[in-house]
Amino acid sequence: MTDDLFWIYDIPPKELALGLVALFVGFYWAGAVLVRPILRQFVKNTPGANDIVGYILSCFCVFYGLLLGLIAVTAYQNVSDAGENVTREAAALSALYEDASRYPEPHGQNLRWLLRDYTRYVIKYAWPLQQRGIVPEEGTIRAEAFHDRLLDFQPKSPAEEILHAEALRQLNHFLECRRMRLFSVKSALPTSMWYVMILGAFFNIMLCWMFNMKLISHIVLGGILSAYLGTMMYLIVDMNQPFRGDVSISAEPYELLYRRMNED
Amino acid sequence: MRPRPRTSAPGPALSRRQAISRSAAATLAATRVLGPGLFAGCSLGIPRRAATVPVGMLHSQTGTMAISETSLRDIELHAFERINAAGGLLGRQLVARAPDTRSRPEIFVRRARELLEEGVVAAFGCWTSTSRKAVLPLFEEHKKLLFYPVQYEGNESSPYVVSGGSLPNQQVLPAIDWLMSPAGGSKKKIFLLGSDYVYPRTVNYIVRRQLDSMELRPAGEVYVPLGQRDFTTAVQQILFSNADCVLSTVNGDSNLGLFAALAEARVDPDKLPVVSTSIAEDELRGLLPRQVQGHYAVSSYFQSLDTDANRRWIDGFRDEFGRDRVTDDPMEPAWCLVHLWKAAVEKAGTFETEAVRQAIRDGLEFAGPGGTIRLDPKTQHCTKYFRLGRIRPDRQFDIVHASALPIDPDPYPQVAFPGWKCDWTDGGVSRGQEVSIDGDV
Repeated sequence: MTDDLFWIYDIPPKELALGLVALFVGFYWAGAVLVRPILRQFVKNTPGANDIVGYILSCFCVFYGLLLGLIAVTAYQNVSDAGENVTREAAALSALYEDASRYPEPHGQNLRWLLRDYTRYVIKYAWPLQQRGIVPEEGTIRAEAFHDRLLDFQPKSPAEEILHAEALRQLNHFLECRRMRLFSVKSALPTSMWYVMILGAFFNIMLCWMFNMKLISHIVLGGILSAYLGTMMYLIVDMNQPFRGDVSISAEPYELLYRRMNED
Repeated sequence: MRPRPRTSAPGPALSRRQAISRSAAATLAATRVLGPGLFAGCSLGIPRRAATVPVGMLHSQTGTMAISETSLRDIELHAFERINAAGGLLGRQLVARAPDTRSRPEIFVRRARELLEEGVVAAFGCWTSTSRKAVLPLFEEHKKLLFYPVQYEGNESSPYVVSGGSLPNQQVLPAIDWLMSPAGGSKKKIFLLGSDYVYPRTVNYIVRRQLDSMELRPAGEVYVPLGQRDFTTAVQQILFSNADCVLSTVNGDSNLGLFAALAEARVDPDKLPVVSTSIAEDELRGLLPRQVQGHYAVSSYFQSLDTDANRRWIDGFRDEFGRDRVTDDPMEPAWCLVHLWKAAVEKAGTFETEAVRQAIRDGLEFAGPGGTIRLDPKTQHCTKYFRLGRIRPDRQFDIVHASALPIDPDPYPQVAFPGWKCDWTDGGVSRGQEVSIDGDV
């Protein structure tokens, strides 16, 4: 489901937030006018109907609130984990670049060029693809090119052996972080969770429609509740994809590194 | 109070359900009628995504050729990025697809097929003649253009290949002329040394034919396997031959061994200069200055070319890819080819191959970093300047000789391929006398 709705993330955050709030409030208001009279038939002759609906609504809200809260935390955790992977990958890349600077020339220069090329690719090509939910492929070629070139080096002294071993260790760490970043491009809430969440919002609104109140009270009170539901949905949608939306990971660690690489 | 008189006949009373369903129907109908007008031009704030067109690149990013071909990929990417930044081509952004061909001909074929099946409008790439020959049938089958940026031996022409590198008549034959001139030391005893594959063997065949026409013979001719680094025996053969210069078509890493062996044998470049066809600034990075200083290389472009256009081009590339990057001969034609293709597409107004070929037939020019070149419609090769550079201690070149004008391309120099001609504006390749390059060695 989230794959089908990727276009949502092309909407600027402010417009998306306002749109979702408007959708929920509009839905509530439309239902209050059109559906509420039908729903009220079910509780019309029940004495203390509002109390019963209120009791059920509060029970429902406990479960639903818990669900929303947990989902929001999970989504935030996803973003946070992906951000940590990105930072670690950039740090490993930086350390590798330092190691490459210690290799004899022209081997060191070739290694530095390849790392710069990789970093440039991540910033210019991989990031825009990730922001569209696409796993970038050509970075693998660049990482392999560096790996191959590093393995070409034959240490000729104990100092070079130590340097080479350290560079290989750092390379493995870098490759691990890189793989984690690529995994997180597609990480999102499972489809079933979205169904439960949307259905829950719908039931929540439906229960509110059952209250015996004046229409104006429904418009105001229901509107406030729906607006907040819309805001919560926006927050979860926004955090659902680590590389998309307002709450997303930027390429800043790589940009800083690339600037430093070019200053050398 | 008297009831108010009815002003109209009472209609049948509406039930609540009917009222709701009618108002819902009315709302939907109104939305359908008014919606397009109300929301016309609304995009929910979504920025319109630019139309794109895929372009292929066939370069090895791993394996033996990676160190050379990666620079070509970078310069081509740089050209595409510049075109995109200026608004794209025919309103479309170029999306470069650059799979790794791993320095293996069979992978070149596989990647070329994938790119062509993905619908790339043209492809840029290949380095070795082996890789070019491997993918050529695919481009001919799919009727797509391959832009090949590297110097090669000629003796080949296809309507679906546009070549930007030097041919022997633009590089090696002028070098022979210069060596035999007073400026070049009036050399007469030229030793031919090459790696053992199609380019050196064909080039040396052409040189032999040229020397034959002057009633001269090479001082010697030796081939070493591609990748071999032990040149002790080859250098001994050069010294015993009493040659007064060496024309080297040694390729790749083998140059490390060649120049180390020459330095070991204390060869003085002033007395026995080596003129290399396959050494550029990129390869010089791996060589010790004391081993190569004073020897020569022939090329159509050197980084040290002192022109504003060249300085701007180098700066632009270094701003993007790093200040320590070097530019060299294959990179310059690669840049020019992308821009010649752009000019052809703009002239044709479409990406369609036949229309682009027609635009090429009408003639195209491009002011590149190495000077203004023309894409010859007859051969689909570029005119090239001939430049001869002497290696400096900083591993750059002093340009000691350059042609006044670009030299027209000739894939079939008559001295070596009598009767053969190429004219894609008039029937293509005319066959001449059959020649046997290997049999001649």
